[in-house]
Amino acid sequence: MRISITVNGDPVVRPVDPSDTLLSVLRGQLHLIGTKWGCLTGDCGACTVIVDGRSVVSCLQTVGQIDGAEITTIEGIAGRGRMMNDLQEAFVTHGAAQCGFCTPGMVVAAEQLLRDGVEPDGAAIREGLAGNLCRCTGYSKIIDAVLSVALARME
Amino acid sequence: MNGYYRPGSVREAVAFLAGNPEAVVIAGGTDLVIDRRLGRADPQAPLVDVTGIDELRGVRWDGDELHLGATATVREIESDPAVIVRASALAEAARVLGSVQIRNMATLGGNLCTASPAAELAPPLMVHDAVAAIQGPNGERRQAVADFATGPRTTILGTGEILTNVRLRAPALSGSCYLRQTVRWAMDLAGVGVAAWVLTDRTGREAAVQEARVALGAVAPTAVLVPGLESLLAGAPPTTERLGAVSAAASAACEPISDTRGTAEHRRHVAGVLAARALSIAHARAAGLWPGGLAPVNGRAPAAASSGARA
Repeated sequence: MRISITVNGDPVVRPVDPSDTLLSVLRGQLHLIGTKWGCLTGDCGACTVIVDGRSVVSCLQTVGQIDGAEITTIEGIAGRGRMMNDLQEAFVTHGAAQCGFCTPGMVVAAEQLLRDGVEPDGAAIREGLAGNLCRCTGYSKIIDAVLSVALARME
Repeated sequence: MNGYYRPGSVREAVAFLAGNPEAVVIAGGTDLVIDRRLGRADPQAPLVDVTGIDELRGVRWDGDELHLGATATVREIESDPAVIVRASALAEAARVLGSVQIRNMATLGGNLCTASPAAELAPPLMVHDAVAAIQGPNGERRQAVADFATGPRTTILGTGEILTNVRLRAPALSGSCYLRQTVRWAMDLAGVGVAAWVLTDRTGREAAVQEARVALGAVAPTAVLVPGLESLLAGAPPTTERLGAVSAAASAACEPISDTRGTAEHRRHVAGVLAARALSIAHARAAGLWPGGLAPVNGRAPAAASSGARA
């Protein structure tokens, strides 16, 4: 089938196997390789993207189900013409990345959590990011970074 | 390329499934996509994607009746303010299922039709006496959710049949609660999941139990209702002595296995402990004694878990 989606603001029309996953289309066809190929079982969150305002694990999202959807990947989180948004800058200033493999998924999941109005509270952020694993175990700085943005955006 | 069919109505879905018995229904895909990739499900089987069917969507209330579409997402269920207050057990089960990302995708229908023994939503729906509507080539039939799963990963659905919705009533003076035991406090399957529901005759501390149900998940091939509770509880408040009898009845209703999430003996014990605890919270909710909000996850508030980890 042919799907027509919007990826990071750009219209994309592609022939796809509808039972293929969004992750493999993003990486294999659109060469957006910021979204990571992690566990492929929905447990690690490294492949998190935003589909129509909801964070999903793209490794389990079949593309046949998202015709017409608006998708944001890590490449589009900052917005057009910007290197980084406030959340990405907070990850840098808090040292919230070690090996970096989980970072795109963390940033995308956290961005949607912030857009959904997560309480500026460490426990709420931890619960909201429970589906994103960091094998370096650098969680504290990640939570600090997200918390700082949650507080800053309230002002 | 594999077959992929995206019907626009239940009628079309049923007609396709009746004509293609090898076809498999996909909704959120959070189990099926993994199973197909790992060969636990036939990766060549045609998919019938039911997420394009409007009549299967949504969470809505009609008076005290809750109507849950088969493709209502777990996230939609946990976020519904009235579900939190009136069908608390369902909200408490929904919010501990997987992660935010999984809950945004996973559906009520998928959770019931996959029929894992640890299906998070089955115990709360069973204690709320929920009824599943099933559409097939010969029209609609209804079955109690308690009778829906017939074993691990098997259900009463016949060829060409799909689950369309689940309905339950949340009358005044009723309350419910779901508690579970897990090894980790998030992203884990239940070692034991316990839902309780109580209907009382009035509000306040003296409120007597009129009806009560307890259902257990992950301790038998399917979620099970604990039998014989009416005679243990009806006509009086749930005293410590009565709750002890509920614990014993719950432990006796278990047929657990031993695995990485706990031994059979541990599961049987925990089922009893959680049954009494869930029942007393359900009673407090029914009697207007609960301060509001959801019960702590794994017996401790996430805030406590977090402050410990951050110290």
